[in-house]
Amino acid sequence: MILINYIACIILIVLGFYVILTKKNILKIIIGMGLIDYGINLLIISIGFNPGGTAPIFTFSELKPESFFVDPVPQALTLTSIVIGACVTAMALSLVIKIKEKYGTLDADKVRRLNG
Amino acid sequence: MQHFPILSIVTLFLGAFLTVIFGSKNETVRKFIALIASSISLILVLMLIKPIMIEGNIIQYWLGNWRPIHDWAIGIGLEVDALGLFFGIIAVLTIFLSVVFSFKYTKKDSETDKYYVLFLMLSGAVLGLVFTGDLFNMFVMIEIMTFAAVGLTAFRNYQEGALEAAFKYLVLGSIGSSMVLAGTITIYSQVHTLNMAQISALLFNNLTPAALFAFALLLAGFSLKAFVVPFHPAAPDAYMSAPSSVSMAFSGMVNKAGVYAIIRLVYVLFHAMDFKSIQILLIIIGTITMFIGVTMALAQNDFKRLLAFHSISQIGYVITAVGVSTALGLTAGLYHALNHTLFKGLLFLTAGAIFYATGTTDLNKLGGLAKKMPQTAAIFLIGAFSISGLPPFNGFVSKWLVYQATFEANMAPVTIVALLVSVMTLASFIKVAQSIFFGQMPKEFENVKEVPLSMRIPMWIMAILCVITGILPNVVTKYLVSPAVSAALNMGKYIDLMMGSGYAEKILGKPIEIPNIDFTLAGYWNPVAWLVLFGLLLIAITLVAVAGGFNTVSLPTEVDDPKYDVFFSGEASEHSHVKGNDLFWGLKHDLRHYFGFMHDAHSGIINDYALWAIFTTTIFIVYIFLLVP
Amino acid sequence: MVVLKYLFNVLVFPGLLFSALVGLILSGLDRKIVARMQKRIGPPLIQPIYDFFKLLGKETIVPRAASRRTFLYAPVIGLLALVTVSLFIPIFKYTAVSTVADIIVILYLLTIPAVALIMGGAASGSPYAGVGISREMVAIISYELPLVIVLLTIGKQVGMVLNKGAITFSLSQIVSYQAEYGPMITNWRLIPAALALLLIIPIKVGSVPFDIAEAEIEICEGPLVEYSGAPLAIFKLNHAIKMFIMTSLFVTLFLSGKGTGILIVDIILQILLSAVIVVISISTLKAITARLKVEQVLKFFWTYPTALALLSLILVWIGR
Repeated sequence: MILINYIACIILIVLGFYVILTKKNILKIIIGMGLIDYGINLLIISIGFNPGGTAPIFTFSELKPESFFVDPVPQALTLTSIVIGACVTAMALSLVIKIKEKYGTLDADKVRRLNG
Repeated sequence: MQHFPILSIVTLFLGAFLTVIFGSKNETVRKFIALIASSISLILVLMLIKPIMIEGNIIQYWLGNWRPIHDWAIGIGLEVDALGLFFGIIAVLTIFLSVVFSFKYTKKDSETDKYYVLFLMLSGAVLGLVFTGDLFNMFVMIEIMTFAAVGLTAFRNYQEGALEAAFKYLVLGSIGSSMVLAGTITIYSQVHTLNMAQISALLFNNLTPAALFAFALLLAGFSLKAFVVPFHPAAPDAYMSAPSSVSMAFSGMVNKAGVYAIIRLVYVLFHAMDFKSIQILLIIIGTITMFIGVTMALAQNDFKRLLAFHSISQIGYVITAVGVSTALGLTAGLYHALNHTLFKGLLFLTAGAIFYATGTTDLNKLGGLAKKMPQTAAIFLIGAFSISGLPPFNGFVSKWLVYQATFEANMAPVTIVALLVSVMTLASFIKVAQSIFFGQMPKEFENVKEVPLSMRIPMWIMAILCVITGILPNVVTKYLVSPAVSAALNMGKYIDLMMGSGYAEKILGKPIEIPNIDFTLAGYWNPVAWLVLFGLLLIAITLVAVAGGFNTVSLPTEVDDPKYDVFFSGEASEHSHVKGNDLFWGLKHDLRHYFGFMHDAHSGIINDYALWAIFTTTIFIVYIFLLVP
Repeated sequence: MVVLKYLFNVLVFPGLLFSALVGLILSGLDRKIVARMQKRIGPPLIQPIYDFFKLLGKETIVPRAASRRTFLYAPVIGLLALVTVSLFIPIFKYTAVSTVADIIVILYLLTIPAVALIMGGAASGSPYAGVGISREMVAIISYELPLVIVLLTIGKQVGMVLNKGAITFSLSQIVSYQAEYGPMITNWRLIPAALALLLIIPIKVGSVPFDIAEAEIEICEGPLVEYSGAPLAIFKLNHAIKMFIMTSLFVTLFLSGKGTGILIVDIILQILLSAVIVVISISTLKAITARLKVEQVLKFFWTYPTALALLSLILVWIGR
């Protein structure tokens, strides 16, 4: 049922964009960024998935031409991407704390001293 | 030789970690680490010029020696060709000068260890991005770059708007990174490799719908990193509120990294420049970028924000020229990228010097500083004339190439817009010159002093480089630009070096063509012109000497004599200060609807900016699906 | 020997001395013609030369608020650029410095005197100069758009005939085109461009009705308000040389034909034609119009001359 994965990740990405575009609370905007991240991570995993494949963990003697396993590269990519996403979220949250201290609000319509 | 690229990247990252460990207590140690790391990296990259630029080699390096097996790349590879090295040189030069500048510049800041850590990480990421041969590695480097850049934008968080700018940059940047990641993974699902050389070979004449989708996503993502216009609004905010040495790095190498990625994408990865529609897409977004950038700059009242909009505008020139896709166009684009790094870095450093000396960069508050800071004023004028493209400075050479390239490609409207933008650039720098360095001096700046030597040295180096690249276009083209151009056009060699010789021919099914990069240039490329100018300079010096220009004492100014007062027709002088805002009334009045619209469009609300980015990405996708076969 | 020849070119002909002399006489002619049109007698023809030497003898006052270096160097840099341009403009088939002549180089070099005026004005520290330079800059933006289109049109026309459609920026090719096919003005497609250039010449030399930058009644000569003595003399000289160069450029671009082959005759012909252009485009306009407002200048130049020039460009483009 790989199709469900693709549908789910597209829904996640679209929801993420929807949140970024419409929500005025900057905390929610960060949640939107997170949603996009998760959607893409799901996409990466789904691309590497082979139905019926085993985990790609072998020693040299075990690896045979007929062994059937999922693609290991996307899983490595997902790990990297998750780590980066966590960093970005942490950075964004720390900025939100500071913005709240300085501006006294989380409303994106009011955090706009730089314009024009 | 083989290890120089990886060493130059690792040195910078190592420097960042060493600063965390040893530099958190002692100011001198962290400066020392930053200086050593950046200069080692500078030397290593400069030593690559001879083998790569002059002898035409390509250096490839497999991390952990994971070489391709059965013609299939499995490891992460670095591949440094002349195109990558060209942008690498730009990057290391910016890094080194920015580090030297920031020694004194960050004197008043606390916790500068964080500054150096983030700055070295930014530098390492940019260098890694231009040297890498792996698409996912490129994404990782872009993410580190954005992350460090956001941190540096918020570094002076006591300043008005720094946090806000950092937040906008982070949101837009992560949208861009998401696009790059989605594009990368779509390509992977098509060709099951991440090595750029192999992707380039496998995608040749094999552009499936998924590959086109990936192309649109990658183009949008990299355009966002290069701050091409509908993606740009984070740039002016970030450039304005970051410290000037960082703004210089932003405009000097961070958005150049985006430009590099676009060039690599359209020329090497997808062979997309064979399509007329992609050329037109790049030329259209480039032209819009340069026009909107410069008109927004005309309306600004802050020096650094103005410079940021000029940065966007000049990137528009580069994208346009790259989009022309002839050898001449690519030469023009790369030459302008180099020049933009030099003069824009110079101007941002001037802004830094002004901020250091006076504590503000607001055009309406400053005035008359040329008397107090003569060297900074002279350097600013060199930078301003360079960016406005006045001969004999470097901006003239590359803009001239852009005009010729666009007009030869039958794009007369683009040439006309480019020339008009150039004049408007001049106009906005006249405004800066009048309202910062000339005009009347407000009372509070009576005690302003010239900035210290360690800040003036990087400025002078850049100023001299501006003049050299302006008067020796032949040398610069021959040794720096032309190798990069031929590397960008010669993808067969790029593929072969990475995947083993003969691979490209096997996959592409045709022998590798050596591209022809000959083009005829009229006019400026003639040494006789320099003899003439020399004669003229001789006359000028004589004339000035006769007029008593060198001996400034010869023309006295007595303090009490009203003869030496400026004429105010009886008004008090403080009531007749011409501010930066007061200039160009006629222009602003005639175009008030346009300026008003653009001001409202840059609303400062992050949702609007995200909407622009996503909407433009959608347009890219639709355009590419409709018009690319 | 080569160096001597270049020095001669730079200093005497067609550089400093020649263009200064012709320029001053042309501006004398301009004053005389305008006076006669307004039923005045007017000054003698060589009055600008007297004025120049008179100003040289006056005391140079540098205001206390001025940035001395920029203030004093600005006129000289303007003169430098103008002399360079005068070397590059061909007189029929004769060029002093061959093969470096190029439309874009000339376009930019002609911007430098205006920039020098702006810099000098800015350096004087006067609010009048501040207003003046902003007006000068608006003027530059106004005329640059039609001027660029005119030059590109000519380049396209010449390139289409001589280079198989590839654009040329080279002035020597433009001259040889005209030697072969007759003056550019005889091609009906280029007449709108010629009219546009005739309208651009007055604003380029800063004469009524487009002299918003130096409007002496409103802003006391704008950038020049604090100048006196030798620097002012050089600015006045720049003004005169610019008048000669712009009209001579018009002659070279539109009226230059085969020539007679004899250098002296060609030069005299060029000067005479330039004088005619001065009368047509500068003096007549000056005599019959009043100064425009600041915002009107931009509006005017971005409509009529731009439309004329664009018309020419389109005609040339479809007429291949």
